[in-house]
Amino acid sequence: MRRVAVVAAGMTRFGVRQATYRDLIQEAGKAAFDSNKNILPKDIDSFILSSVFPERSVFQSHLACLAAESVGVRPHKFFGRVENMCGSGIVGIRTAYAAIVAGLSDLVMVMGAEKMNIPAPEEAVLNMMTGLDREWEGAYGLTAPPMFALAAQAHALKYGTTEEQLSRVSVKNHGHSKNNPFAQFQKGTSMEQVMCSKMIASPLRLFHCSSMSDGAAAVILASEERAKELTDKPIFIIGTGQAAHGYAVANFYRDMSHWPALKEAANDAYAMAGIGPDDIDFAEVHDCFSIAEIIAYEELGFCEKGEGGRFVEQGLSDYGGKVVVNPRGGLIGCGHPLGATGVAHAGEVFLQMRGEAGPRQVPGAKIALSHTNSGPGEHHILIYQKGF
Amino acid sequence: MEQPYIHILDPYPQQAPEQNRLHPFYDFVREGKLTTTRCKKCGTLPWPPRVVCPQCMSDELEWAEMPREGTIYTFTAQEAGLPPGYALPTIFALIDLPNGVRLLSVIEESELSEIKSGATVEFIVKHVPNDRVMPAFRIKR
Ligand SMILES: [Zn+2]
Repeated sequence: MRRVAVVAAGMTRFGVRQATYRDLIQEAGKAAFDSNKNILPKDIDSFILSSVFPERSVFQSHLACLAAESVGVRPHKFFGRVENMCGSGIVGIRTAYAAIVAGLSDLVMVMGAEKMNIPAPEEAVLNMMTGLDREWEGAYGLTAPPMFALAAQAHALKYGTTEEQLSRVSVKNHGHSKNNPFAQFQKGTSMEQVMCSKMIASPLRLFHCSSMSDGAAAVILASEERAKELTDKPIFIIGTGQAAHGYAVANFYRDMSHWPALKEAANDAYAMAGIGPDDIDFAEVHDCFSIAEIIAYEELGFCEKGEGGRFVEQGLSDYGGKVVVNPRGGLIGCGHPLGATGVAHAGEVFLQMRGEAGPRQVPGAKIALSHTNSGPGEHHILIYQKGF
Repeated sequence: MEQPYIHILDPYPQQAPEQNRLHPFYDFVREGKLTTTRCKKCGTLPWPPRVVCPQCMSDELEWAEMPREGTIYTFTAQEAGLPPGYALPTIFALIDLPNGVRLLSVIEESELSEIKSGATVEFIVKHVPNDRVMPAFRIKR
């Protein structure tokens, strides 16, 4: 099977940006090309755009070639747009990976982009409803925070997970994003600030939630052969997995504190890579809400089932612990421009493996796991390995 | 903005026979009945209802009435960040019916202090704009 390497990566600052959708795409494209001076837009043969609801937020569909043209790329081997709600970024990278493995492409740009903050802020919340089962569940006003709150209550009832433990995740990730100039939030936070923040959907408070953010991120993937011509610092994708259990929230799992689709996706990726959870140096994990990071520790095999709350409380997911989780600051610290998030994970892997992550550098990072979800029922995994 | 901002989006299901083959579901809700479809060939009882059985691909389905009472699995009271037009707070809950079907719905007409995991709830009719209906629940009286 052809091997696939990340050879360039870059991103915009995430946040409430005074920039259009296309501005963001151009910023991320420039950052990616700037990261590897051996690659020019004309060299790219394929292009994948990961983006969730620009039809609503910028009133534009037919997006892959708009984004490609914006960054000077004329795709002529393989292109299209990927939409899979919050996990779209990893799904875009997996799609590009598959195209290279299949021999359809040699050099692909994957762009993740989202403009979430629009002139009518209440409409931005309405847009989030389109990512749920709108006719049978979304129509009640259901969006992501109550969906994850239902899982948080299930985890608290079964395992005694506390509000303090949920809050530890937010304090850790805000602490990390303090060291990330591309993060939406760079001031850090305290347990008191998190636990006194506004209740959104019990038990989840404002600081337990990631924010609606504008941003874009881009990576360039190459076949191993092509990568050799372009860089002496390739980072290989060595494992990947994906699984879904149901679409309606009601049909995910009888026990909402267990996310077997995440376990299944992770185990497939570990098996493909020939490694286990103990081999992971750092993980970019989908902390759309703090409960999601706690359950991810368990399903990814970083700790025993039910121990996720204690895992973060004991500092085991931080620097000096068992595995650094979300050194970038996670979705809670960086913001969550839906389609960009999984691509931004790859950008963090790129910096960390090259030792260019500055004050948030994970010492000696060689193997990293990236996980995104599209709700508790759908999970996407990539495992990256330093190739130099 | 001088030009009126076009801001029309209908979040509720289309329920008329011209729009939706599952329109009897909403007629039953109006009559106070909670239903789903049952496959005549293999007996599968999926939620939500379908026009084709997801197990055996038969399109011979019949409407089956479901129990009116269930128990709360988990719930949340959303106090902020709801889409425009929705009440604050909204109580979302996963509700288990004795026939094995689980629904995501809202709990209304109930005291917040009575809403607990394991509490018994009963089906009520929720009226939504343009003479449409959706199922909802309240704590059993
Ligand atoms: Zn059937």
